[in-house]
Amino acid sequence: MNRARQLLWNPIVSKEYRSRMRTWRSPLAMTLYILLLGGLGWAVFSSLASAAQSGFSGQAANYGQQLFLWLTLFQALLLTFIVPALTAGAISGERERQTIDLLFVTQIPPFSIIWGKLLASMSFVIILLLLSVPIFSLVFLFGGIEIDQVLTAFLVCATTALTLGVLGILFSTAARRTLPSTVAAYVGAFLLVAGSMLWGQLFPTTIDPASTKAPAPPAVSYLSPILPLITIANQPVSSYGIRNGNVPMNSGGFSSGSAQVICKAGPAGNSCVTVSGPNVVSGAGVVSPPATVSTIPSGPFAGWQFWQATVVLQLVVVVIALIVSGLLLPPVRRLPWRKRAAPAAA
Amino acid sequence: MIKVQGLTKLYGTRTALHNVSFEVPRGEIFGFVGPNGAGKTTTMRILAALLDPTEGQAFIDGVDVTREQGVVHERLGYMPDFFGVYDQLTVTEYLDFYAACYRQPRSRRKKVIADLLQLVGLQDRREQPVDSLSRGLKQRLCLARALVHDPAVLLLDEPASGLDPRARVEMREILRELRGMGKTILISSHILPELTELCTMIGIIDHGEMRATGRVHDVIQRLTSGRRLQIAVLGMREEAIALLEQMPAVKKAALVDGSIDAQYEGDEATAADILQRLIGAGIKVSSFRTFEGGLEDAFLKATSEEVG
Repeated sequence: MNRARQLLWNPIVSKEYRSRMRTWRSPLAMTLYILLLGGLGWAVFSSLASAAQSGFSGQAANYGQQLFLWLTLFQALLLTFIVPALTAGAISGERERQTIDLLFVTQIPPFSIIWGKLLASMSFVIILLLLSVPIFSLVFLFGGIEIDQVLTAFLVCATTALTLGVLGILFSTAARRTLPSTVAAYVGAFLLVAGSMLWGQLFPTTIDPASTKAPAPPAVSYLSPILPLITIANQPVSSYGIRNGNVPMNSGGFSSGSAQVICKAGPAGNSCVTVSGPNVVSGAGVVSPPATVSTIPSGPFAGWQFWQATVVLQLVVVVIALIVSGLLLPPVRRLPWRKRAAPAAA
Repeated sequence: MIKVQGLTKLYGTRTALHNVSFEVPRGEIFGFVGPNGAGKTTTMRILAALLDPTEGQAFIDGVDVTREQGVVHERLGYMPDFFGVYDQLTVTEYLDFYAACYRQPRSRRKKVIADLLQLVGLQDRREQPVDSLSRGLKQRLCLARALVHDPAVLLLDEPASGLDPRARVEMREILRELRGMGKTILISSHILPELTELCTMIGIIDHGEMRATGRVHDVIQRLTSGRRLQIAVLGMREEAIALLEQMPAVKKAALVDGSIDAQYEGDEATAADILQRLIGAGIKVSSFRTFEGGLEDAFLKATSEEVG
């Protein structure tokens, strides 16, 4: 119990809280966050309202879903910009202030320094997420979104923030200065959020006519929070990450050129339907029905929800980055495979 | 208390330390002198377990610094040659943070911090932001920080650099008080006079090699060639110098700034004999003074030898 308390609440955390909250930057960041998120919500709502007046709108439930989709994607975007700034200077800043040696000579283990820095910056992210709750609650005025969808979207955003935070700390541990560490952290954030999506576009899954399963985007794409956030908001991910290469059109393999996965909220969670997609002809010539799934249809994460794959993949990145940071940080590395020979008695 | 054996540190092909050995018994103040870049900070960082030596061993209170860093950090207070202060924290919060890092129980911290602030004379500034303190005050705060866990050994890297004379005197008083508390102190400096008065032992390092180590008096005597005489005479200077040069105890005699400067080997009795012979030869001696060569001489001599 005491050990757990020590792990969770080490002196670095309280020191970080103090220093962070005493600057003008923190309240400014919080205010900007609320203003931007609220401003976007208002803009989306206005455009939906004006569309409704001109008569081209759907039902009210769609307002809620649209608003939620925009808000949650924008929240992820804002976090992508904020989190690297929070952590990219965590360790390199201590080096620049010349305080890192002073920490190393205390009895705090180097990993606790990393952990303390991470905990402090993640607490700030949680404050930001909590601040956005009132804005997200506007969605419930329109309906179409359940509380579990909001919670899942928050979980995805929080995990993404954690991943970006740990990546920032990793770069901060590896770099001597904060500037290169910040640049690397933003490049890392871009690769995680947009790059992994871009991978799906550049190297999409090619539909295998012989497969009995509906196609799914390449697994790398699940690293990005964009796909799960779209599916959580009941929106179609369309034919993202899937290519109809080598499939003869209208020749019995597929009834149409594109596979479209549409996900909708149901009482038992999200359900995704692949429409006009692969009506796959099996070897015996039996046409299987369109896949009606609430999950990723195929690939290594077959049977998983999109957000589950994202959270798990990101947590894997987090664990790897934490281990590497823990190995890089100590001033004198005691790697298990490089043990010093036992010296003679003093 | 501090023991260094054959310490060698290579940075690539550059040798920062070469076979450095010395020992500091409990309760001594060891002055570690050498020009900039001689290897003082490297030695101190190895002692603080912040750097691995390429070869050799170092012990703090019998504990190998390369093997049991945790125990070493428990017994060691380290003050590097920079301040390392956090902005946004007050003096008390700053010390409390480090006390917590040294796992001092919360119940003890308040009293320890009050005592330390009293020791370093910052009791009136406990609520002042750390980054608003002057250089001298920051230095004192950093000394207090190195003491929060009541270590037996203190490593102070250039504690007086950049301080004005008054602040330097105050720092010296604090260190004296610490010695009175039984702490073993290793203090490095490239400024010599401050060490001669303060230290009981001295080590001279240059180009990564230990030139001399031991009690201050012994090192000075070993390095300076015997004792010196300053003799003022009324006229007859040439005769006096010629007479001095005839004496076997006198190694060298020359006119410096209007008075005769002579180096001799021997003790007070030898000096008395020299005076007697000068007077016996009819030379009018108006002033006769013996003195030992200072640390400055010892230092210059130790570091002037070219390193191969």
